[in-house]
Amino acid sequence: MTAVAHVTPRLLLLLALLRLPIRRRSAGKVRASPPRPEARLLLRASYNLSSHLPGITIHDLRVCVSPHSLPGTLPLTAPHVEKALPSPLSSGTQINQKKERKVDLVFTTELYNPEEGNKRLGKCSARVFFRNEKPRPAVNVTCAQLIEKKKRHEKDYQLYKRMKQLQNPVDVVSIPDNHGHIDPSLKPIWDLAFLGSSYVMWEKTTQFLHYYMAQLSRVKQWKTNDDAIDFGYTVLLHEFSTQEIIPCHIHLVWYPGKPLKVKDHCQEPHTPEEASGTEEGSAVAPTELSNF
Amino acid sequence: MRGLLILSVLLGAVLGKEDFVGHQVLRISVADEAQVQTVTELEDLEHLQLDFWRGPARPGFPIDVRVPFSSIQAVKVFLEAHGIRYRIMIEDVQSLLDEEQEQMLASQSRARSTSTFNYDTYHTLEEIYDFMDLLVAENPQLVSKLQIGNSYEGRPIYVLKFSTGGSNRPAIWIDTGIHSREWITQASGVWFAKKITEDYGQDAAFTAILDNMDIFLEIVTNPDGFAYTHSKNRLWRKTRSLTSGSSCVGVDANRNWDAGFGMSGASSSPCSETYHGKSANSEVEVKSVVDFVNDHGNIKAFLSIHSYSQLLLYPYGYKTESPSDKDELDQVAKSAVAALSSLYGTEYKYGSIITTIYQASGGSIDWTYNQGIKYSFTFELRDTGRYGFLLPASQIIPTAQETWLALLTIMEHTLNNPY
Repeated sequence: MTAVAHVTPRLLLLLALLRLPIRRRSAGKVRASPPRPEARLLLRASYNLSSHLPGITIHDLRVCVSPHSLPGTLPLTAPHVEKALPSPLSSGTQINQKKERKVDLVFTTELYNPEEGNKRLGKCSARVFFRNEKPRPAVNVTCAQLIEKKKRHEKDYQLYKRMKQLQNPVDVVSIPDNHGHIDPSLKPIWDLAFLGSSYVMWEKTTQFLHYYMAQLSRVKQWKTNDDAIDFGYTVLLHEFSTQEIIPCHIHLVWYPGKPLKVKDHCQEPHTPEEASGTEEGSAVAPTELSNF
Repeated sequence: MRGLLILSVLLGAVLGKEDFVGHQVLRISVADEAQVQTVTELEDLEHLQLDFWRGPARPGFPIDVRVPFSSIQAVKVFLEAHGIRYRIMIEDVQSLLDEEQEQMLASQSRARSTSTFNYDTYHTLEEIYDFMDLLVAENPQLVSKLQIGNSYEGRPIYVLKFSTGGSNRPAIWIDTGIHSREWITQASGVWFAKKITEDYGQDAAFTAILDNMDIFLEIVTNPDGFAYTHSKNRLWRKTRSLTSGSSCVGVDANRNWDAGFGMSGASSSPCSETYHGKSANSEVEVKSVVDFVNDHGNIKAFLSIHSYSQLLLYPYGYKTESPSDKDELDQVAKSAVAALSSLYGTEYKYGSIITTIYQASGGSIDWTYNQGIKYSFTFELRDTGRYGFLLPASQIIPTAQETWLALLTIMEHTLNNPY
């Protein structure tokens, strides 16, 4: 399916991917199990949630909140956070009769680029709604104590400049490479791609399906007249419960301070070619972005 | 053709710093004598600097010619204008040469011993198989290599046996790489193999284990899939078996075991990543292990290693019913996870497959548990999604080190709780 997103500062743009204890569909029956006290969370936050997350910029908002964090990062299970920072909000999930699943969580954010120091950005709480097992959960987030606006905009602009300085067209294959390595010069590409991909993953996430960004398999960058970064790439998403690899062509347009624009086209799983498709299905060339 | 390539290179070297960037090799198909003549005329045009590897002869015999970059357009236009068919055999001669060069260097720097082997990088199937032979050669009293079968595409399937003697002692089984894209697992398997040879006789607790039990380690459980992740598709998961009636390839080897086979938790679609195959044990990679386990008859712990998610799991995956040894397995898992975390703080969760990760039918440890192998566990190694399958090589050794502590915990418990 093709989707054009117009992500404005007004819109809630916390790209929350909630990884709940996966509900197995045993023979089509709905399991009537009690809500779990600790939901497994994976939260990816993105660009400019000014109304809900005052002043987060693209640079610092790729936040990973995970109960199973890597050594050296902040362990951020909701219960853990509650121990460290007592909060009235517990983490829990509730399913009501309308088949809505509501998840509350409390977490802290940290800088995505740990090279710049493991600064804790701030404490956030979020409420996520899945309705009728549909994708695109509604997310309400509030955060406190984030980096000051000026510094954030600076960082955004730095990212912008680094992207602009990269040879055009970029035309790189595979980030990270097959050994998990990302060349430092290519990191800005990954950062930006992660943002766009987060949106696409959010679009597809349900309480049964959750995604990870496995690899950028092709990158192209075009120029636009107004100096925005016009960036097209193919990302391989890994859906966990089915283990499928889903190639998505994503086209995003970004200028610091302006809303991120994302257009995506994902391949349906089970195409006759290789199941873990690195084959390009119908390579979708981005159409004229006349309304941008 | 390789020979001709090298010859060209040598000539190039002799004639001084020639490179072949952008040069293409075309295969020209001449339909009749007239076309043969036409191509022969091309030969005479010296300024094109064509290098015929297989010169014009007779109709029906292909003509191979290396065309320098500057002449490509002209030659193709010429051929097309005369209606002469051709195809591009080599897109870029220099790339091919570079690749060969790389391979030659790589084989020159092949490890001569397991001490110089690089544990902090990912390896090819050939390199891992070489490593196995080195390890056996260096530790003939302790290690032997068994072939338990051949893969679908005919690759040998090897298991390393670590034994200090006895006859059919109670044994620990460890397998890695059943899902080929989970590279951290095969890499860890290699590290485990070396670790075993290092710690025996040095570490008291481990020596006690190996003095009483044998260890079987299958490092590349799915060699066809693994080769494919190197050559074509880094994210390939399944075997490479062909399914009649479908253009899709491969079966999920961890949905192919005879435990809840075909039930919810696997797919019946050949194109799916969790396709269970046409019947239980249809995959030779699975059948080989099943036969081995049955023939051995004295395996007491069965540990299957996967990635990613950082989990330690026990049966069942195909049904919600708890295994009768649930309490004990849960305790063991808890201790194992604590041991793992103690090294670098890596956090793992544990529990049964179905409650902790997802419903999965036809899985290995469900089958082994039902066969009476009580200590059946599945590991999901690092990480939790940031890199996923593409875990940076720098994490291989830390991951292997911490996982080893968990394995030790389970092995010790198995030793101390005979059944």
